[in-house]
Amino acid sequence: MMTIEVLISGLLLGGLYALFGLGLSLIFGVMKIANIAHGEFAIGGAFFAIAAGTFLGVPLWLAVAMALILSFAIGYGMQILLINRVLGDDPMPALLMTFGLSIIIQNMLVELFGADNRSLDIGPLATIGFKIYDIAIGVFPLLMFGVAIALFATLHWFLRHTRAGRNVRATSDDPAMVCIMGLDRTRIFALFMGVSAVLAALAGIMLAMRGSITPFSGAERLLIAFEVIVIGGLGSIWGSLLGGLVLGVVHILALRIDPSSGPLYGHLLLLAILLARPEGLAGRMEHR
Amino acid sequence: MLEVSKLSAFYGDFQALFEIDISIQAGETLALIGANGAGKTSLLHALCGLTAAKGSITLAGREISNLPAFQRAAHGVALSPEGRRMFASLSVRENLEIGANTGRKGPWSRESVIKLFPILEEFAERPARLLSGGQQQMVAIGRALMANPSLLLLDEVSLGLAPVVAEEVMTALGQIRTKNEMVTILVEQDIRRAVAASDRFLCLLEGREVLSGVCSGADLNMIGRAYFGEGTAA
Repeated sequence: MMTIEVLISGLLLGGLYALFGLGLSLIFGVMKIANIAHGEFAIGGAFFAIAAGTFLGVPLWLAVAMALILSFAIGYGMQILLINRVLGDDPMPALLMTFGLSIIIQNMLVELFGADNRSLDIGPLATIGFKIYDIAIGVFPLLMFGVAIALFATLHWFLRHTRAGRNVRATSDDPAMVCIMGLDRTRIFALFMGVSAVLAALAGIMLAMRGSITPFSGAERLLIAFEVIVIGGLGSIWGSLLGGLVLGVVHILALRIDPSSGPLYGHLLLLAILLARPEGLAGRMEHR
Repeated sequence: MLEVSKLSAFYGDFQALFEIDISIQAGETLALIGANGAGKTSLLHALCGLTAAKGSITLAGREISNLPAFQRAAHGVALSPEGRRMFASLSVRENLEIGANTGRKGPWSRESVIKLFPILEEFAERPARLLSGGQQQMVAIGRALMANPSLLLLDEVSLGLAPVVAEEVMTALGQIRTKNEMVTILVEQDIRRAVAASDRFLCLLEGREVLSGVCSGADLNMIGRAYFGEGTAA
């Protein structure tokens, strides 16, 4: 029974991990750069929600909605005003710019909120649960998992079945040729930086509901997001889901067997995947 | 229809084109002839905005040289690039449809492209990367036509194709030529084939015009010498 319980709580945590990876994977797929500020997008989004709840006194759902809208605006604006200006054949300037942004956002959060632990209070929802055959399942982890799966499915549908989604896939295939099709790729990039920021913020908000965060939590989340997309396989959104679930199970299992190990076994898994299957579990090799 | 004057193109400090002038009427096809590295692709890329260039480009009365590539597409510039450049993860149908993204009106639609290349109907839902080279070339031409362009740029349409398939593609280009009011610029390695498929020709050598003229009755030997940079340019 214990193994099934570990498996289930690992999978439920994995849904959250997958969500951290999803936004990063999207940006990498479309723009071919790693957004180092991804963790700060997540933590910043959570702090927006906390601030809206604390200072404006709005109900939780409204605080979350405001944080998501603001996150989209910030992601979109950063892409238009800053990152688009340095994108070119060389990925390094854009990478360094996102690195700089991550430091700036982190320090702004410290300035505004201090370095204390903060969390988003969701009341009794945090603790209620139910039992199936003696296996305890929390309602909130299940809800988080459901949100993550729903977002993956929505994004899949968007990319496969809408005109805008088709344009995004084309941009990922060949960014120079989409201009020949009359598409302004800088707009597509900005739209997806906005979407990625929303996904990150949502993951950060759920993290703050589940436990607590500080302005310095971003780096750790970025590491998890990286591990998720490398384990799952770059360039496929379902790879991110698989990577998140695998990493979640490994983390929970390791904590049961070796409580002081922290994220060690997750890192070891990453190392093993890089050695044995560098394209990731669901990854495809480049078709060229 | 298309007036190009003193067009020069650059890759960083390297100048690939030197003050090229072109003037073509609607419905005409211009063959660009020249050896590898003569500047044929650079000229096409300078026209569609993929390469930095100086000089004037007027298409259908509009100056487009100061526009970015995606806006030139909206003004009717379409390219079938060297190497086909399929969108690999898109199906054949999606590759054609994205060509029509600018929403320009005209004779070309999915139906008319499939009439030109019937085989594309059969492969419509297949990922474009799984097609043969010849089939991909048909998709690339079809994708450019879907834009209903007023300037169609065709780069190396028969390169790497089996001779039979190359003939098939050239025959299709012949059909396009008779029923359109657009300007076509064709880059083709085979001089005989290029001259046969065009109204006029422009021969480039190291980024400069060395010979130009009307295709009917053109002296292939003279073009051949210009191609290799031998003898006097007329």
